[in-house]
Amino acid sequence: MTDLLVLTAAGLSLGAMYALVALGFSVIYRASRVFNFAHGELLGIGAFSMTSLVDARVPWPAALALAMALTGAVAAGVERAVVRPMIGRPVFVTIILTLFVALLLRAITIVAWGVQPRALADPFGDAALGLGGAELPYQTLAQIGVAMLALGGFFALLRRTQLGIGMRATSTDQEVALALGIPVGRILGATWFLAGMLAGLAGVFAAMKHALFGHETTLIIAFRAFPAVIVGGLTSPSGTVIAGFLLGLTEIFAPVYLGPHLGAFGKNLQDVFPYVVMILFLMVRPYGLLGRRDVERL
Amino acid sequence: MPTRPLVTRYEDDLRLFPDRWYGVGLALGLAVLLGFPFVASASWLTAGNQALVAIVGAVGLMILTGFAGQISLGHAAFLAIGAFTTAVLGERWQVPFWLCLPAGGAAATVIGVAAGLFALRLRGLYLAIVTLGLLYLVAHTLDAYPSISGVGGQKLTPMYVTFGDTPEGMRDVYEKMAYGPLILDWDQKLYFIFAAIATAAAWTATNLQRSGAGRAMMAVRDHDLAAATLGVDPVRAKLYAFGASSFFAGVAGGMFALQQRTITVEYFALPVSIEYVAMIVLGGIGRVWGAVAGAIAYVFLGKLMQVIGPSLPFIARLPTGLQTAVLFSLLVIGVLVVEPLGLFGLWLRIKRYFLAWPFRY
Repeated sequence: MTDLLVLTAAGLSLGAMYALVALGFSVIYRASRVFNFAHGELLGIGAFSMTSLVDARVPWPAALALAMALTGAVAAGVERAVVRPMIGRPVFVTIILTLFVALLLRAITIVAWGVQPRALADPFGDAALGLGGAELPYQTLAQIGVAMLALGGFFALLRRTQLGIGMRATSTDQEVALALGIPVGRILGATWFLAGMLAGLAGVFAAMKHALFGHETTLIIAFRAFPAVIVGGLTSPSGTVIAGFLLGLTEIFAPVYLGPHLGAFGKNLQDVFPYVVMILFLMVRPYGLLGRRDVERL
Repeated sequence: MPTRPLVTRYEDDLRLFPDRWYGVGLALGLAVLLGFPFVASASWLTAGNQALVAIVGAVGLMILTGFAGQISLGHAAFLAIGAFTTAVLGERWQVPFWLCLPAGGAAATVIGVAAGLFALRLRGLYLAIVTLGLLYLVAHTLDAYPSISGVGGQKLTPMYVTFGDTPEGMRDVYEKMAYGPLILDWDQKLYFIFAAIATAAAWTATNLQRSGAGRAMMAVRDHDLAAATLGVDPVRAKLYAFGASSFFAGVAGGMFALQQRTITVEYFALPVSIEYVAMIVLGGIGRVWGAVAGAIAYVFLGKLMQVIGPSLPFIARLPTGLQTAVLFSLLVIGVLVVEPLGLFGLWLRIKRYFLAWPFRY
């Protein structure tokens, strides 16, 4: 029972990270119709800039805010420089484009921070909350809490503020939004900025979870989050958040409860199990949990 | 200058060589293809072999993405299946390579059609991510069974020429040998075999595109609902595309294994899939010659950038593997922003310029 509690907490904190990543994907997709394969590099920028800021003795909350803002700025820059000229191009062109933007961003992070893996000191250390025999690390709990705050803040922004309304209008129909006087360009930039901030936060979480992390770490996390995006439904932010948490729990539970029964195939099961679940799920619902079915006119 | 005879019959529209300029171009291409191994240095000859492998793989992806419009990031999975089938058949049963390659293709086809069944309901990005999942699944399965993927992650691929070759007798294959007046070393021998396969692949794909099956694929690509309304069976067209595409990918994987001699599971990962998509986008989506041109351009430009990379400012500070990647990213992004049709678009522009000469348009 205590195992289950510990695993659930770990799964939720992992899921919180995936939810942040997946939400970023979804928000960007809704705004620009682009699946941003460079998201993993944004996570990396968030994580690496955080280590630099913490090393420079910036207080933790301020460092977090700065790292998130920097990542957001990079994301907005990518949108303005390469994604916006691609409006109206076929899907594979944008796929290729973001994949190669990812390579470029990685080169930049390598030039800026070197190839050595780095460590991020966090204020919680190894301290844990004892709860009926189970040890729940404060770090895990804090991650869940901060992610909840960020997600709640984002959805409040999307629902209640003028910017959020503009974002929703833009994602529904850019031309109509433009005709109604919504500054679509600025809205797109703001959307990418917000998605970048979420990615930066997820990157910091990723850095906290690993004693040492390198350029590959965040990349792998972004690719692992894909099933969450797809299962949740590309066009549905709330669906991707739910699927993100489910993904985190799956990834923690699968190797413990399922892996030992599958023989050689069960080794490192967490690497592929989410993808298997995704493929099976899409057989039943090809547009994901809460995604919208495309309506086409002949 | 009449550029093309007036098309009056449907058969004329379908001809492989609409006019004699196609023949001239093809003859020139053939001359370059056959002459290349005698003038190129060893490292460029290796690049040539890689380009031929890439042509077969890119033609395969062109069938799936260019003809049928199904985006796939799982191409490397089919390459891996072909490569490891070839390796296992050769290592365990001493099967000659000319049987291993089609066998690898067939194995990839089986998996490809099975994957196609899963992909029938999906479109666009959903399909891309599912094929990415396939890639992870194949890599994971190969990793889980070292009897297939080799102990320690490395798998040797022997190349037997006839049945009954022993591992000792096989070494001759890698030696310099005389064929009549021609003395060919290992790379050159491989080059001619690969050149024949690549030509056959491009030819087959061109014919496929002209046939009913190919036109059904293109109809599905342009609008699957409309195609279905007009009596094209989208399920059949998609499965056909998946099957044909993965066959070529399997053969390309087998060729890659023969060329590398030692293969690892790690190689067949997402970057390889990306390379192939980049090739067909660079060459121009929707045409076999786009795949061929894209593959050649991709491999040779990559090689060129390895050579010039260290002498450029800023780029030289990066690790070697990344130098090529960065230069390439800049190039691909530039091409996509400036010339969305790829090399084919460039060719169209040149053609139009000369067609209209001496006028601007």
